[in-house]
Amino acid sequence: MSDNWIETISIDDVPEDDVIGVTVNGHQIALYKVEDEIFATDNVCTHGHALLSDGFLEDGEIECPLHQGRFCIKTGKAMSEPLTEDIKAYATRMEDGQVFLKFR
Amino acid sequence: MSHENPIPMTPVWEHEDTSRIPFWAYTDEDIHKQELEKLFYKKHWCYVGLEAEIPQPGDFKRTVIGERSVIMVRHEDNSIYVVENVCAHRGMRFCREKHGHVKSFTCPYHQWNYDLEGKLQGVPFRRGVKQDGKAKGGMPKDFKTSDHGLTKLLVATRGGVVFASFDHDVESFEDFLGPTMLSYFDRMFNGRKLTLLGYNKQRIPGNWKLMQENIKDPYHPGLLHTWFVTFGLWRADNRSELKMDEHFRHAAMISTRGSGGKDTQTTNVSSFKESMQLNDPSFLDVEVEPWWDGPTAVMMTLFPSVILQQQVNSVSTRHIQPNGHGSFDFVWTHFGYEDDTPDMTERRLRQANLFGPAGFVSADDGEVIEFSQQGFEQKPFHRSLAELGGKEIEETDHMVSETLIRGMYAYWRKVMGV
Ligand code: FES
Ligand SMILES: [Fe+2]
Repeated sequence: MSDNWIETISIDDVPEDDVIGVTVNGHQIALYKVEDEIFATDNVCTHGHALLSDGFLEDGEIECPLHQGRFCIKTGKAMSEPLTEDIKAYATRMEDGQVFLKFR
Repeated sequence: MSHENPIPMTPVWEHEDTSRIPFWAYTDEDIHKQELEKLFYKKHWCYVGLEAEIPQPGDFKRTVIGERSVIMVRHEDNSIYVVENVCAHRGMRFCREKHGHVKSFTCPYHQWNYDLEGKLQGVPFRRGVKQDGKAKGGMPKDFKTSDHGLTKLLVATRGGVVFASFDHDVESFEDFLGPTMLSYFDRMFNGRKLTLLGYNKQRIPGNWKLMQENIKDPYHPGLLHTWFVTFGLWRADNRSELKMDEHFRHAAMISTRGSGGKDTQTTNVSSFKESMQLNDPSFLDVEVEPWWDGPTAVMMTLFPSVILQQQVNSVSTRHIQPNGHGSFDFVWTHFGYEDDTPDMTERRLRQANLFGPAGFVSADDGEVIEFSQQGFEQKPFHRSLAELGGKEIEETDHMVSETLIRGMYAYWRKVMGV
């Protein structure tokens, strides 16, 4: 595995059809599990200062608990008002029961 | 009227016309509340500001209409919105800054978030809080953000000036002004972009109508304002006109300085000061501008909220912001035009020294308004006199008349039903 992949938490610790917040190399990251796939984005909303991991995952979008802005968890794209700025999404892979993530 | 029962329960306008104005019109708190409803919140356009104050999308200015706090803001699409500064949640006046730049408005109390049109975008914990994978609390299913926006006002902009109304059925701004006032409005705001030069702000302990009356009173400038007279800005031989809209609510005092030659008598009242000289004559370094089209001073009163001033090269708006029957804030916005030379900007700024709370001229007005209010409070059963030039209401070609004040009160009585 290349150096760019960073080990995070165990796949089993990511709740099914839901989200969890983790800190990876000092970055606040949200990890999502949907139908056995894992996705990762920044965890702090680009609008208010809220954690997306306190929000609601629905139809591949995470809804911020503060003002209900929605991001696509695959691309990080801002999907609805009041969001004006996309969020960063990261590549993930699963190996040996662990979730790995790449920052670039 | 009997002195045993000095304040009638329901104030009655006893005189047959408006050449007498009862003091209760300035001292009665209930009348004041009705004025806010009938004059500021319904059927009238009120001044909110200049477009030049919010040049960029997201720029806002907090101001007031009557006694209601409102926000004037420029949207991403460049249009201007005016919304009421009261949160749709628990009613807080959420916006505290006077000016600023935002992407959206957030109330600090519970962080409800509104877009620049005042639409509610989202509320914290709408779906409750997640505990052990279950959402608890939050808004009911039938909660719709679209039901809970900020109160949005109707907005009219013309020549770079912004007016707004809580009354969405109000006539058009142009009809509200009427053709005569509109022509003077357009003279001053003729499409050139305005530039913001600065503000003066003062609180005057008097009824707000006294400010309207002050600029509908051409009797006083040559008598009260010795500075005007002494240095020749106000002359008895000025050519003058008094004009009104068809309802007599708005007015314009139009005057054109005579030759201004030193040989002519400034006025026979104050000629004893003829020998006085300005230490710095540049305060009156007047340059005639083409857009004046004659008049050297046009003072417009747009009822109820604003005065538009051209006094030689000094141009400004003066916003009347009542707070209770016996006090108002008076906010002066001095401006210029985009094609002004640096010299002209300097000149406008210099001449602005005549105005504002400590102005060479305007300081006098603030004081006489304060002392008038004191007289009214002392004997609220009494009345004032506005009989100069007769008892009628008519336009004139001279300044020796209180006809504009009589006109304003004829309109006021009609709207107030007294
Ligand atoms: S009062 Fe404004 S968010 Fe609650
Ligand atoms: Fe005056």
